[in-house]
Amino acid sequence: MSAPDLATPRGADRDALGGAELAVLAARFEGIASKMGNTLLRTGRSGVLNRARDFSCCITTNTGDLLVYAESLPIHVLGADMLSRSMLAAHPDLKPGDAFLHNSPYHGNSHPADHVILVPVFDRAENHRYTMVCKAHQADIGNSIPTTYHAEAKDVYEEGALIFPCVQVQRAGVDIDDIIRMCMMRIRVPEQWHGDYLAMLGAARIGERETLALGDEVDWDALAAFDEQWLDYSERLMAAAIGELPEAEASGISVHDPLPGTPEDGIPIRSAVRVAPADGIVEVDLRDNPDNLASGLNMTESTARAAALIGVFNSLDPSVPKNGGSARRVQVLLREGCVAGIPRHPASCSVATTNVADRIANATQQAMSQLGHGIGMAEFGGFFVASSAVVSGVDPRSGRPHVNQIFLGGASGAGGPYSDGWLTYLHAGNGGMCHVDSVEVSEHYQPLVVHERRVLTDTEGAGWRRGAPALEIEYGPSDEGSLTIAYVSDGEQNPAVGVRGGLDSVPAWNVRRKPDGSEERLPQSGLVELAPGERIACLSQSGGGYGRPEEREPERVRDDVLQGIVTSDRARDVYHVEISEYGELDLAATARLRASVG
Amino acid sequence: MTAAATGVIRLRFACDTGGTFTDLVVEDDRGGAEMFKSPTTPSDPVDGVLASLALAAEEHEVELAQFLGQGDVFIHGTTHAINAILTGNTAKTAFLTTAGHPDVLLLREGSRPRAFDHSLEYPQPYVPRALTFEVPGRLDAQGAELDALDEDAVLEATGRISELDVEAVSVCLLWSIVNPAHELRVGELLAAELPDVPVTLSHELNPSWREYRRASSAAIDASLKPVMGRYLGSLTRRLEEAGFSGRVLCLTSQGGMVDAEALAQTPIHAVNSGPALAPIAGAHYNRVEEGSTEYAIVADTGGTTYDVSLVRGDTIPWTRETWVGGAYQGHMTGFPSVDVRSIGAGGGSIAWVDSGGVLHVGPQSAGADPGPACYGRAGTRATVTDASLVLGYLDAGYFLGGALTLDETKARAALFEDVASPLGAELEPAAWAVIDVATESMVQAILAITVNQGIDPARATLIGGGGAAGLNSVFVARRLRCERLIIPDTGAALSAAGALMSSLTVEHRAVNFTTTADFDSAGIAATLAGLESRCRSFLADAGVAAADGTISFGVEARYENQAWEIPVELGADPTIATKQEDVAERFHRTHRDVFAIDDPNSAIELVSWWARASADTRGGRPFGRLRELAADTLEPATRQVYLPTEGRVEAEVIPWGTLAAASPRTGPAIVESPFTTVVLDSAARFERSAAGNLVIHP
Repeated sequence: MSAPDLATPRGADRDALGGAELAVLAARFEGIASKMGNTLLRTGRSGVLNRARDFSCCITTNTGDLLVYAESLPIHVLGADMLSRSMLAAHPDLKPGDAFLHNSPYHGNSHPADHVILVPVFDRAENHRYTMVCKAHQADIGNSIPTTYHAEAKDVYEEGALIFPCVQVQRAGVDIDDIIRMCMMRIRVPEQWHGDYLAMLGAARIGERETLALGDEVDWDALAAFDEQWLDYSERLMAAAIGELPEAEASGISVHDPLPGTPEDGIPIRSAVRVAPADGIVEVDLRDNPDNLASGLNMTESTARAAALIGVFNSLDPSVPKNGGSARRVQVLLREGCVAGIPRHPASCSVATTNVADRIANATQQAMSQLGHGIGMAEFGGFFVASSAVVSGVDPRSGRPHVNQIFLGGASGAGGPYSDGWLTYLHAGNGGMCHVDSVEVSEHYQPLVVHERRVLTDTEGAGWRRGAPALEIEYGPSDEGSLTIAYVSDGEQNPAVGVRGGLDSVPAWNVRRKPDGSEERLPQSGLVELAPGERIACLSQSGGGYGRPEEREPERVRDDVLQGIVTSDRARDVYHVEISEYGELDLAATARLRASVG
Repeated sequence: MTAAATGVIRLRFACDTGGTFTDLVVEDDRGGAEMFKSPTTPSDPVDGVLASLALAAEEHEVELAQFLGQGDVFIHGTTHAINAILTGNTAKTAFLTTAGHPDVLLLREGSRPRAFDHSLEYPQPYVPRALTFEVPGRLDAQGAELDALDEDAVLEATGRISELDVEAVSVCLLWSIVNPAHELRVGELLAAELPDVPVTLSHELNPSWREYRRASSAAIDASLKPVMGRYLGSLTRRLEEAGFSGRVLCLTSQGGMVDAEALAQTPIHAVNSGPALAPIAGAHYNRVEEGSTEYAIVADTGGTTYDVSLVRGDTIPWTRETWVGGAYQGHMTGFPSVDVRSIGAGGGSIAWVDSGGVLHVGPQSAGADPGPACYGRAGTRATVTDASLVLGYLDAGYFLGGALTLDETKARAALFEDVASPLGAELEPAAWAVIDVATESMVQAILAITVNQGIDPARATLIGGGGAAGLNSVFVARRLRCERLIIPDTGAALSAAGALMSSLTVEHRAVNFTTTADFDSAGIAATLAGLESRCRSFLADAGVAAADGTISFGVEARYENQAWEIPVELGADPTIATKQEDVAERFHRTHRDVFAIDDPNSAIELVSWWARASADTRGGRPFGRLRELAADTLEPATRQVYLPTEGRVEAEVIPWGTLAAASPRTGPAIVESPFTTVVLDSAARFERSAAGNLVIHP
């Protein structure tokens, strides 16, 4: 291990806090962030929030550095610094009691469907100290079609989202309800949106209350010293982890499937990675990518950067805290007007947290994997088949409209140097943090029946560490109802790629199944109307494998056979492991097989 | 100890088998109680139980058979069920599920503990996929049949189950909580085809929605039936053989107790059997001491874990989310249980400094084996116990009443190497930092159960239980700004003491979904009447006179479109539940209590209803105080201790038994008994109460 750069911390002119004090204060701030998250989960009204937990809560410093977060989606939270800084830029005269609503993809947010409440927190002398950031994916945001992911929108006007570039919604703790009234006229199932809005505001205010109590108890200057030293400490750990990597340059390419508005061969996303261990720096260059598209697939600055960070963090020591300090050690180079860079208004960024974002993370960790065994990861599976669709319509049981994003299951976990792919990972940007909907809860809240949800055998991206197997999910309207289903499927033509000799995943698909038993392949994006009696089925694909499957430990292959993840035929053909019909490992036959194939 | 000579004293035994010690509390019918600790025998836990009883008989100077003959009731808390799960010693269990949904137990509810930690392996299902059988037949959310049950397919499954030597079967079909017909029919077919194999039907065991939780409960329950049946049978038989002829009751995860045979029928209720009782004891001590607060935080410090819970008055906190083996990585019991949270912090927690120079304490533990460095066994790493010894909090010659002599040189060497040197600190401040970080993780565990529910810990009393509680309870209490800390005289065996205070309880639940907008008064009345009659027959079977039992009702409810219910107590009068305004008013109030907000314009969804029967088994007598043992009355002395704000000072060492009641004192001082050591700095005011407990104002 080469010596990391442990230059004098920037807070060295203050009294240094001890390791114990740092640990204590970090735990207290994390406690505040998790209290915000708990409030949001328990009081939220839409399924995407209170069941799937598609939200994030964090605290930034008064200059906008990400300090701590509760268990949150990486693609959300790694951009919280930009949100806070856009608040400082738009509202230089912040006052206690202010609150702001933000969802602008052109001002640091992830994508318009993620509504964010920002609350600046002040000490008793009215100095701005911290900002509470609560972000939650909404069930609907008033787009031109009933989905929060409009892939085919050629610009933000066709997308139709109401855009709030950090607008004020409370002054002195009192509502300015203009924005609320606008939203109530424009967002589908408005009372559901309003319930979630209140939950976010409540969570941010609870964070504020707790931070005030902490500052009063500990002393605000000690907290300021903590901020600097905690971020510096995180930066040192990150530099040390990078110091263990070889000095190298590598690039990876991950191709998003073609959709209306994209080039015919899809969108190739290139990530060029340069590792400088002596400086403790990783540089990710995303500039050599196509220009903004007439499509909702464009990245925002926030998600392009976060996705690159995800690719790097996935490839490193998990114990490094992920915050503004460790992020200093990753330099992400972006270009304005680029699909994987900074969007130029009015480019639509409706789908900026998932599809191309996942390709950026995948291309980056693919590149990292070229640095040597034990580094990087395979590709995660494509997101967003029909099992994660936005589903809307009218509930025949109540006659009332419904809209919500369902989370009936997403596999996609990639193989990496430390473990096999995580089965319920969903997609790269979410880090596996979202929850899977209960069938019973889904059927209670929306007029649908989930007919099937199962792991498919022999679908894993094989490898020394394999990807998670694929899931098949089938559902349809209940009773005499119909459903409108919106999704943006990727990975049908470009499955998740294996690395270092690991194999690719199986391709994703979406089909309509009719009452007469016939089946029709569905397009990869757009709206699908299901008539009574029809069903939609999809394959949520596996992740790629890491390392050669012929080198996988025979005991792991046997366990996969016993669990029905892999058949004994595939064990023999792909892993070169012989398993008897009673599930016993035949080590002699395995050795012969492996020797004969080399 | 000549009490036995009179020959008429009747005894009640409470015995809590933990990982390291088996705690026994013996209470007599004259208001006295005694505490004993004996090492647990992991391979034969009943052996540890009998050894603790033998220890007590010896203290009473009578034969074991004669001593046991005086016993009316033996109450048992055990980690046997949880250990069977954690060590994979449960029965080979099959799982029957609705066709199309074979992976309920594999998928769980998704998520994972940490986003970027790719060293986590995806957990295996509780029942392997090879022992999972799909049953065609489907109901919808209203209970209407979409597809009829395919009985031939069920019979095919039972045939395979029989070939595979399966020892238990669990069944969970979608929407069985709304319409149990399919699940009941599968149960009949299993009973006919596999008469000797125990079966658990999900809707009977756990009538709540979210199929993963219900399926997981059923699978865990079925898998425990053979092992717990054998264990509880053996316990009852060997107690009888040793001379006990009273009633054997077992503690449940819900903090009540049931007859051993009943627990063998639904053994999932034994999963949290041990720690569930500490909150009951905590509530008792908060109530009996002067100045009792609305809330009490009950903390139980063991060698490896710190268990915390929050009680409000006598209301024990509940949770539906109980995981065996860690959140997202283990298995949910799917069952409400007493909400006791455990973190990896205790006397054995290991202190270490990471490459960035930050100190951590735990979650790794040296346990009893290899043990802290100062045990002089195989352990060489610095632990909280080592730090306590270096700081002078523990007496090397009087640990566990002198049962183990500690090696201070080894403790100092380990702390220097693992902590002081990497932190660049002096030895004593480094040792204090270990206590401070351990204190902070304990504080965070308590904040998670208080502040997260909008409860200010400063308004609560902290109850310090467990042998190691006294080392830092004053510091924990001060950090939380608690004005009152109680170290009970039975603190070292808090769960066993709780068992003697516990009531005979049972809870029945039923789902009956309705809303305040479309209120089904008659349906609710019918549901509650059904639950009430099941409670009444439980009480009658237990020989409780109608006047001695109480039944209370409640509902799990939420605002429209929220996904998480909160429990709303409706009291003893079931007609309250049938009045829309009364139910709504109680819900709004409870929501406000929990989350500090309510939404009076929103409709309320009422999901599942409960009735809880409870019968006092003590005949109304209060729990007595602990009798002083000879070892409690050593001579007072002084000792050098290191305290964070005052450095090294001379502290009085006061034997617990010599501390006179109602004479307030201030620190610095150490109060010591064979079971515990309490550290008091100079800011702490303390006194022994008339009831025998140490009451501290930190």
